[in-house]
Amino acid sequence: MNRREFFGRFGLGLGGAALSGLMAGDARAGAAGPFSGILPAGHLAPKAKRVIYLFMSGGPSQLETFDYKPELVKRTGEDLPASVRMGQRLTGMSAQQATLPMAGSIFKFARAGQSGTWISELLPWTAKVADDLCVIRSLHTEAINHDPAITFFQTGSQIAGRPSFGSWLSYGLGSANQNLPAFVVLISKDRIDQPLYSRLWGNGFLPSQHQGVLFRSGKDPVLYLQNPDGVSGESRRKLLDRWAEMEHLQFRDLGDPEINARVAQYEMAYRMQTSVPDVMNLSGEPESVFELYGPEAKNPGTFAANCLLARRLAERDVRFIQLYHPGWDQHGGLPGGIRRQCGDVDRASYALITDLKQRGMLDDTLVIWGGEFGRTNYSQGKLTATDYGRDHHPRCFSVWMAGAGIRGGVSHGRTDEFGYNIVEDPVHVHDLQATALHQLGIHHERLTFRFQGRDYRLTDVHGNVIQPILS
Amino acid sequence: MASIQLLQRWVIASLLVGGTIGAAEIEFARDIQPILSEHCYSCHGPSTTSRKAGLRLDVQEGALGAGKSGKLAIVPGNAEQSELIRRLGSADPDEVMPPPETGKKPSADQVRLLKRWIQSGSRWGQHWAFVPPALPAVPKPRYWKSGNPIDAFVLAQLGSAKRLAPPAEPGRLLRRLSLDLTGLPPTPQEIVAFEGRPTREHYLQEVQRLVGSPRYGERMATDWLDLARFADTHGFQADRYRPVWPWRDWVIGAFNRHLPFDQFVQWQVAGDLLPNATQEQRLATTFNRLHLQNEEGGIVEEEYRVAYNVDRVNTFGTAFLGMTFECSRCHDHKYDPISQKEFYQFFAFFQNIDESGQSVYFGDIMPVPTLLLSTTNQETQLQGLNARIQTGEGQLQQMAEAARPAFVQWRSKGVPQPSEVSGAVARFSFDGMVSNAFSSTVGTHRAQPFEGPQSVVGRFGKALQLSGENGVSMPGIGHFSRADPFSLALWIRPALHLPRQTVIHHSSAWMDAGSRGYEILLEDGRIAVGLHHMWPGNALKVRTRQMAPVGGWTHVAFAYDGSSRASGLKVYLDGKRAEVEVVRDNLWKDITYGQPNLTIGQRMRDFGFKQGQVDELQVFDRTISPVEAAVLAGRELPTDEDSQFEHFLLTQHAPYRAAVESLLKLRREQNALVTSIPDIMVMEEMKTPKPAYVLRRGAYDQPGDSVTMETPAVMGRLPAGAPRNRLGLTQWLLDPSHPLMGRVTVNRVWQQFFGKGLVETSDNFGLQGAAPTHRDLLDWLAVSFVRGNESLGLRPWNLQDLQRLIVTSDTYRQTSNVKPKDWAEDPDNRWLARGPARRLSAEMLRDQALFASGLMVDKVGGPSVKPYHPDGLWEMTMGGGHYPLGKGDDLYRRSLYTYWKRTVPPPSMMTLDAADRSYCVVRRQATSTPLQALVLLNDPQMVEASRHVAGRMLREGGVGADQQVRYAFALVTGRRPTQQEVSVLRRLLEEQLAHFQKDIVAAERLLKVGEKPVLGEHPPAQLAAATVLAQLLFNHDETVMRR
Repeated sequence: MNRREFFGRFGLGLGGAALSGLMAGDARAGAAGPFSGILPAGHLAPKAKRVIYLFMSGGPSQLETFDYKPELVKRTGEDLPASVRMGQRLTGMSAQQATLPMAGSIFKFARAGQSGTWISELLPWTAKVADDLCVIRSLHTEAINHDPAITFFQTGSQIAGRPSFGSWLSYGLGSANQNLPAFVVLISKDRIDQPLYSRLWGNGFLPSQHQGVLFRSGKDPVLYLQNPDGVSGESRRKLLDRWAEMEHLQFRDLGDPEINARVAQYEMAYRMQTSVPDVMNLSGEPESVFELYGPEAKNPGTFAANCLLARRLAERDVRFIQLYHPGWDQHGGLPGGIRRQCGDVDRASYALITDLKQRGMLDDTLVIWGGEFGRTNYSQGKLTATDYGRDHHPRCFSVWMAGAGIRGGVSHGRTDEFGYNIVEDPVHVHDLQATALHQLGIHHERLTFRFQGRDYRLTDVHGNVIQPILS
Repeated sequence: MASIQLLQRWVIASLLVGGTIGAAEIEFARDIQPILSEHCYSCHGPSTTSRKAGLRLDVQEGALGAGKSGKLAIVPGNAEQSELIRRLGSADPDEVMPPPETGKKPSADQVRLLKRWIQSGSRWGQHWAFVPPALPAVPKPRYWKSGNPIDAFVLAQLGSAKRLAPPAEPGRLLRRLSLDLTGLPPTPQEIVAFEGRPTREHYLQEVQRLVGSPRYGERMATDWLDLARFADTHGFQADRYRPVWPWRDWVIGAFNRHLPFDQFVQWQVAGDLLPNATQEQRLATTFNRLHLQNEEGGIVEEEYRVAYNVDRVNTFGTAFLGMTFECSRCHDHKYDPISQKEFYQFFAFFQNIDESGQSVYFGDIMPVPTLLLSTTNQETQLQGLNARIQTGEGQLQQMAEAARPAFVQWRSKGVPQPSEVSGAVARFSFDGMVSNAFSSTVGTHRAQPFEGPQSVVGRFGKALQLSGENGVSMPGIGHFSRADPFSLALWIRPALHLPRQTVIHHSSAWMDAGSRGYEILLEDGRIAVGLHHMWPGNALKVRTRQMAPVGGWTHVAFAYDGSSRASGLKVYLDGKRAEVEVVRDNLWKDITYGQPNLTIGQRMRDFGFKQGQVDELQVFDRTISPVEAAVLAGRELPTDEDSQFEHFLLTQHAPYRAAVESLLKLRREQNALVTSIPDIMVMEEMKTPKPAYVLRRGAYDQPGDSVTMETPAVMGRLPAGAPRNRLGLTQWLLDPSHPLMGRVTVNRVWQQFFGKGLVETSDNFGLQGAAPTHRDLLDWLAVSFVRGNESLGLRPWNLQDLQRLIVTSDTYRQTSNVKPKDWAEDPDNRWLARGPARRLSAEMLRDQALFASGLMVDKVGGPSVKPYHPDGLWEMTMGGGHYPLGKGDDLYRRSLYTYWKRTVPPPSMMTLDAADRSYCVVRRQATSTPLQALVLLNDPQMVEASRHVAGRMLREGGVGADQQVRYAFALVTGRRPTQQEVSVLRRLLEEQLAHFQKDIVAAERLLKVGEKPVLGEHPPAQLAAATVLAQLLFNHDETVMRR
C-alpha cells in the first residue's frame, strides 16, 4: 500500500471531515467541518489572521524602555511622596523598606521616527520601526507577583486552570494549516529566571487539541515527535500501513466511527514528523535574512532565531505564535540586566516587524511586545549613581502592538510625572485581550465555553476594545 | 453542551408532537426552567446585582408578580396577556427578549412550550436536583428478565418495543470489567478460563475477585486523586515538593478495605473533629489542604489564604454537591440560588485552621497545621518520652516544694546581690569597632555591621543607630533548640511605634522561612517574643501589655526554660517581669535549621527596627532568674518571695539544677525524635473560629458584612443539634434526605463504568447542568445507596455493593458492537441500548503496557516515582534542574504513583487527557489528537514495553510466526485474532524482519531503548521486528479502547 493508499482505503473523507480544529478533536465532533473552530465566520471582519506575541517574562522596566520621565530623573534619591503612592500596596519584597528612594532612568531617551515616539537608547533598532508601533504606556494589571501576573496575561485569570489566549483562538477560529498545530510556543534558551509553566499554554477546560505545542530547538522539537532510535522513516511507514489495515478490519467489524477519527489523527501525526522539522530548519533562509535578524539568529533557541522561526510559522498560517523571553526580573542590578535583555531582543524585534512588512504580512499579523507588569519608580535596595533595582509595579507599564489594523506611530495613555500612576487612558489586561480578539474578528464577550455550568471567556467578565488605537 | 441541547430537543419534541400530550405532563423543572435559565436568568435570575427591570423569573413570586414596569410577565392561564410571551415574539429590537446582543434566542418549539405551559396554568416547581430524592417504583417493562432494577429503568426508558443488546463476548466483557474495577486488563489465562465458563455465577466470582484485589483500591483512588486535586508539588512559582503521598496511600487503603463511603467522606472533611480522632482520621483531612500553595517571595499572605479557602469551598461544591460555588464568590450566582452571602457562610466552615497564605521558600517545611506521621513504634517511643518528661516536670515541681526550707534558710541570711550573671555566651557593648566588627567580651564572637549602622551615644558608651535596613549580624551565636533553656537581654530605644519592627532574631527570613527560629519584635511598641517552627500553626509567641516608650531606653530580656510552652517564656522590661498575652502556644517541632546568624535590626523581607537604637546585648545558655534580669537592667532587685525563690532554684540549689539537666536530656531526646518524623498538612480546627465576612467583589481586602457558618438555604440548613463546624457540615451532607450528595455520588460511580454520568455534567447539577437521561434510575440508585436495600443486598453507603449491582446488570454487560443504524440513532449512547465503549485513560494505557509486557512492578503505595520523562522540561522551571529519572523498579510502577509536578505535569499523561491537578476535576475530557499518536508510538515507555512483549512472544509464544503472532495479539488485546488479522501481522513481521536484517545496527539501537534488558538471547533483527509488531498492537483499537 503506498502513501495515498494508506488512508485512501477508508473512503470517508478522513483527510478533512474528522479533523475539526487543527489538532482535530473530539472523536465524535467530525461534523464540525475541516479545521474550523466554533466560529467559522467570526463575529466581525477580521484584520488579523494570526498573532505573534513576544512575551517579555519577568516584567521589563517601562522606565528604561518606553516611558520617558525627566521629572523622575531630576528627583532621583528623594523619597517617594505619599501623595503619589496613595497607600497602594507594595510587594512583600519592598514593603518593609525604610525608605523608597525614587530612581530615574540612567539611560537617555530620544524621539524616534516621524511620530516622535519616545524610546530609550537601549532600543536603537526598535526605534527604527517606531512609526509601525503603537506604544501603550498605560497598561495596568491586578497581580503583583510573577506567577499570578503571567497567568493573568495568558489566561485572563490569576488562578491556574483557565485556557490560554492561544487555546481560545484555536478553539474559536480553528487552524488554517493541516500540518502544524494552531498554537505554537517558543522559549528563549538560557534566560530563565522566573519559571514558565506548561499551564501558560494549557487548554484549561477546552478540549486538549487546543493546547499550545512547545517547539524546542534540538533533536526532538516537539515532544515524542521523533521515531524511536533505530526506527527509520521506512520502517515507520510500513508499521503505519499495516496498522491502518488492522484498524480498517476493526472498523469493518465494529462500525465505531471513532476508529476512523483516530486514523485521521495518526495521519496528521505522521505529517507533523516532516512538517515540524521542515519549518524549524532555517538553513534555507537567504543570508540577507540573517543580516536582518542579526548573527544570533543562526544560534537555535535564541530570541532572534525564534523571531525568525515565528515568521516562518506565520507564513504557514499558524494562528498563535507565543514567544517567551525571560530574564527581566531586575530587583537589583537593573542597569546591567536590562542592557543585556534589550540587547537580546532589540534587533530581532525590529527585524521581525521589518520582515513581515517586506512580505506584506504585517497587514494581517498582529505583533504584541510586553511583560506581565512594570517596575517601581523607586529603587528596591540601594540606589547609587550607577546602580539600582526596581520591584514589581502593576499600576502602570508599557507594551507595544503592531500590524493588523493597529495604528502605527501612536503613543496611547499617559502616566504621571513620577511614572507611578496612570493619568490618561488606562488600559487593563482584559482590554488588551479584548482588542487582540477584536482584530481577529472575534467579539470577546461571545467567544465562550461552558464549564461547570458557567460560560467562561478569555476576558472573564471585563474588557473593552481600545478603539483609539485602531486604524 | 451540545448534548444538553439534544436532550432538551428530544423532550420538547416528545411534548409537542401531535399536540396530544396533556398540559399536566409539562413539568416545570424539567421542561420549562432550563429554557428560562438558559435565556433569561443572567438578567432575571437569583443575582440581585445583575437583575434588570426588577424582574426575576427563578422564583414563583417573582415570575407571577409585576416587574418595575407594572406589567405581568406571566399571567397563569393566559399566554396572550403574558408580557414574557409578547417580548419573546416582539419584532422591535429594543423590546425583544432576550436582547439581540446576548446572542441568545429560544427556538420556536421552546416558545411554543412556554406558551403551552402558561396557558395550562403555569404550574411551578423546584429545580429537580434541590428536591430530596424519593425512592421511585421499579417499572416492569416487557423485556425485563434480569431482576436487576437498573435494567428495568433502562428498558422502560427505551420504550416497550426495545430490547437491550446481547451480552458482550466473554473475553471483551472480562477485559471491560477488569479495567473498570482494577485499571488493568485480565491475563490471557484469566480470559480463557472465563470463556470456558461464561456463566452468571462465574462472572460474579470474577467481580468478587477483582473488587477484593489490592489493584481495586488503586483504580478507585486514581479518580479520587483528580477530585482531590492531588499533586506532589505546591504548584506556584518554585513549585516545591511536598510529601503528601501518605494521604494517597490512605485513600487506596480505604477503598481496599471497603470503608463505608459516608465515613470515607466524613473523615476527609472533618476527621479532626471526630471524638478522640485517630491518626488515620486526621490524616484523611489532608484532603482539604491539597490545593495549590504559594511560596513566591513578596506575595500578600492574606490574598493567598483567601484563595486557598475559596478552593476548599469550590472543591466541596463540585465533589459532593455537584454545584459551581465559584460563581458566588464575587456576586450572587446568576443561575443557581446561591447568594454571595451564602458563599461566605460556607467559606466560614473551612478557614478555621492556623495556616499561612505563604508557604516556605527557604527549607522544606510542611505548611501548617500538620500531623506527625509517627509509626506505631515511634508513637510508643514518643508516648514513653512524653510520660517521662511529664514525670520529670512533676519531680521538678516536687523538688521545688522540698527546697522551701533550704530557701528560707538561705534567704534569712539576706539575699546576696550578684554583680554578674553567669552563663553568658556572648556579650556586646557595641562600643569600639575593630576591623569593621565588634568583639564579644565573652568568647571570640564578632558582630559584623552591614549597610552601615551608625555608632551613637548609647545607654552605656556607644550604641547602634539602626535605619530599618541595616544591622549587625553575629555568626555562631545562639543556635538553640526548643529544648534548650536560654535567655537574651539588650537595651533598646525605639524612635517610633510601628505595627511591626524586628529588633533581633535568629532565623533566615520572615514569611519566606516561616519565621523558623526565635525573635524579639516590637509591635506598636509592645515587646513580642517568639519561638517558631513555622508561623503560625507551630509556634510560641507572647506579647507584653506594656509598651517600650518612644525616645527612651528600655531594658528588654527574656528567659526561656526549654519547655516549648508559653508559661516557660518570661519577658522582663527594665528588670521587672512583664505581664504578657499569649499569642500562640503550640510549638512542637524544632526551631533550628542550618545555622543562621543572630541578627539585630533587619530581616529578609521583614520590617526592620526603623530608626531604633540597640545597646549592650547579652546571650545566655540558661534560664536567667528574675533577680538576674533586674541585675542586668541595673534595677533594684525584687524582694518578693516568688522571684527570690525562683532565683534560689535556678542559681543556688544544686539538686534542682541537676533535675533541670536531666529534664533537658529528655527534652532533647524527644525533640530529636519528633524532628526526625515527617509531618503532613491537615485540618486542625482552631478553638475560636476566625471572623468571616462577605468579601466584596471576592477581593481579600474588601470585607463587607460579617457572616457565620451556614449552609445554602436551597439545600436545607444544618440538622438540629449538629455542631456548627465541619463535623456538623458532614452530618448535614450525609443526612439521608440531602438532595444532592447521594445523587452526585452515584452519578460519578455510574460514570466510572459507563464513561458518562446519568447526568452528563457530573460536575454540575445546577440549573445550567445537563438534565438526567434517566432521572428515576438516578434517584433509585441514590436512595438505595444512601439508605441501603436489604432485598438486593445493598448496605447503606456501601460503594462496592453499588458497583456490584451496576456491573452485574444486563445494561453494563451488553455488547458495544452494534449495527451502523444503532450508532447513527444514538451516537453518544445516551439511552444505553448498547454496552459502553471508550478509550482507556492515560493511566490505563501505560499500566496496560507495563502489565502485558511483564514490566509492571506490583507494589502498593509509597513515595511517588519518576518514570521516563522528556529531557529539558524541568530546566524551564525555577530551580527545577534536570529531571531525576528513577531507577529500577521506579520506572515500572503503576501510573497513579507517577510524580506529579504541577508546573510540569507528566507530558505523556497530559496529552492523553489526564486531569490538570490544579483544581477539583470529576470529569475528564475524551479527545483524540495527533500528539496522542506520537506518545503511543514514540514514548520510550511504550517502546520498551513493546520490546518486552516481543521478548515474551519469542519466548512464550510457541513455535512459528503464526503461533507467536497469535500469542502476542492475545497478550496485548485480550482476544484471539482473526485469520485476516494474523496475515496482516505476519506481513508486518516479515517486512520489518527484512528491514532489520539489512540494518542490524538499527535493530540494535531500537533494542537499546529503555533500561531493562529482555530475558534470553534473541537475534536482534528478530527481536526488533517483533518489537515493531508489539508497537502496532499497543496502538490497535482493541488495545486503546475498552469495548
